Amino acid sequence: MRIFNFFRPAQPPKVESSAHHAKERLQIVMAHERASRDGPDFLPLLQQELLAVIAKYVDVDQNKVEVKLDRSNEISTLEVNIELPSRRPEPRRQRAALQGAASTP
Amino acid sequence: MGQIIVMTSGKGGVGKTTSSAAFATGFALRGHKTVVIDFDVGLRNLDLVMGCERRVVFDFINVINGEAKLYQALIKDKRVENLYILPTSQTRDKDALTKEGVEAVMDELRKEFEFIICDSPAGIEKGALMALYFADQAVVVTNPEVSSVRDSDRILGMLAARSRRAELGQPPVIEHLLLTRYDPIRVERGEMLNVNDVLEILAIPLLGVIPESQAVLRASNVGVPVILDDTSNAGMAYADAVARFLGEQLEHRFVKPEKRGLFSRLLGRTA
Amino acid sequence: MMVLKILDPASETLFSRLSEKVRLAPNFFRNSAVVLDLECLPETQVCDFGDIKARLRDCNLIAVGVQGGHRLQHEAALRAGLPLVPSGRPTRTDNRPAQAAGQTVPPPSRPTLVVSEVVRSGRQIYAPGGDLVVTAMVSAGAELLADGHIHVYGTLRGRALAGLSGDTTARIFCLSLEAEMVSIAGLYRVNEDFTPEIVRKPVQICLKEGYLCLEPFFPVGR
Repeated sequence: MRIFNFFRPAQPPKVESSAHHAKERLQIVMAHERASRDGPDFLPLLQQELLAVIAKYVDVDQNKVEVKLDRSNEISTLEVNIELPSRRPEPRRQRAALQGAASTP
Repeated sequence: MGQIIVMTSGKGGVGKTTSSAAFATGFALRGHKTVVIDFDVGLRNLDLVMGCERRVVFDFINVINGEAKLYQALIKDKRVENLYILPTSQTRDKDALTKEGVEAVMDELRKEFEFIICDSPAGIEKGALMALYFADQAVVVTNPEVSSVRDSDRILGMLAARSRRAELGQPPVIEHLLLTRYDPIRVERGEMLNVNDVLEILAIPLLGVIPESQAVLRASNVGVPVILDDTSNAGMAYADAVARFLGEQLEHRFVKPEKRGLFSRLLGRTA
Repeated sequence: MMVLKILDPASETLFSRLSEKVRLAPNFFRNSAVVLDLECLPETQVCDFGDIKARLRDCNLIAVGVQGGHRLQHEAALRAGLPLVPSGRPTRTDNRPAQAAGQTVPPPSRPTLVVSEVVRSGRQIYAPGGDLVVTAMVSAGAELLADGHIHVYGTLRGRALAGLSGDTTARIFCLSLEAEMVSIAGLYRVNEDFTPEIVRKPVQICLKEGYLCLEPFFPVGR
């Protein structure tokens, strides 16, 4: 009831308030952007080189490569999923997952 | 073939990105496979409003430049089935948007998605023109305020003259008006243009009126499209607007001040 | 595009009178493109187009082509760098003697430009040599220009300039006057000077005895 709220003393903003949430999100995403602002956009290149190495050993379908990124406070993960072709006549899929983890600066 | 919808306004800060996020989520909630694209190259914000900023690997510009495949750049929403986000580049500028490049992406998306929502940057320069060029329908986001109304008129002129439909002499882009940040109390006091004033000047059909609401800021703070906050007036108004877009006949809510009880009036507090 | 009708290329007064005309409105004419109309020349007369071109240049006009006339004249013009341009209006027949006795010649028709969509802010529409009819509203910040009359079957919020090349009989009509500015043959009035009995009313605007006259279509209290 609003009328009771009115008599309650003013409270400091709660830690889980939406503004707090906003600040936290901005800090994470902007730290990453600042770090990479002047550097080259390395992800496309990384993907190409990675594929080139793997292609030396197995036949890779360029259209079956998935790259996922998740950034958080402590740790960022980059996940590259490359689907490898089956050597058997019947089409059964194998998946190789390459996972790399790196601490954020 | 999917429908391409541009969210546009001319003026900045009127709620294009909020509306793009809300409409895309609204379509997906109703089972339509939808993608929302950020055209504001260099000033990426849709990812923040959609809450997927930590998951951006590749972007629209990477796809245009052939540095990544389209499906690699599409981010699947974690909350709503059928919803995808195509973020833009934060480091490049609007020149990265070539007509051929955008067209190739649009053609590919049309095959996969029912609705393709283009979140336009402000202004009438390249980014905004590219966002509206391929549109089948346009949602013109307007605030009840003189500069916003005039800028909307200007962008409607652009839609009529500079869209692909106009250039090819096809049927014109279907136009819808979405009036945002509407404050019925200030309208009643005569401090703000009312719905009919704006409709009279712009002369296009009204899709919805989104009331000024604290829920909008709260939603963008936490990265959840406001339409998912179904307790808020703004969320409900967006849900209504999406339903109208899909052909439902609904009365416009939130255009009159809510009746308030004696206590809340005495105390002068609002929720 | 401006058209210069040549009646007699040998006339001594042609260019002096032309430069007088240009001096009256130097900004309007400065470096304007001009098409030479050869319709009134006899078929056999071939003139020195190079000379005409140079003398027009002295008047700050640029000859860009010819219209009307005959094959020999076209060839001479082409040698002087003036191509044949298609005539922008129906061939005028009123100046010539009637082709056949008893046959009535219809009066020249002025091309009318009809626009049926809303004219939005930032757009400019010009009806050269004729009337402009808009069957929708005209937004603030839009501009209508016509050498003849302007009709707006909707609210006029932008600017309307009729009689652009000096026709003082041109008029402006609109269903609701909320214009920023109206002008006929160069005489203009801005909205600050509009009186309450014409604002948001059906209005016609014309020149009367040299004054711009804005009057409601229907007497007040009809």
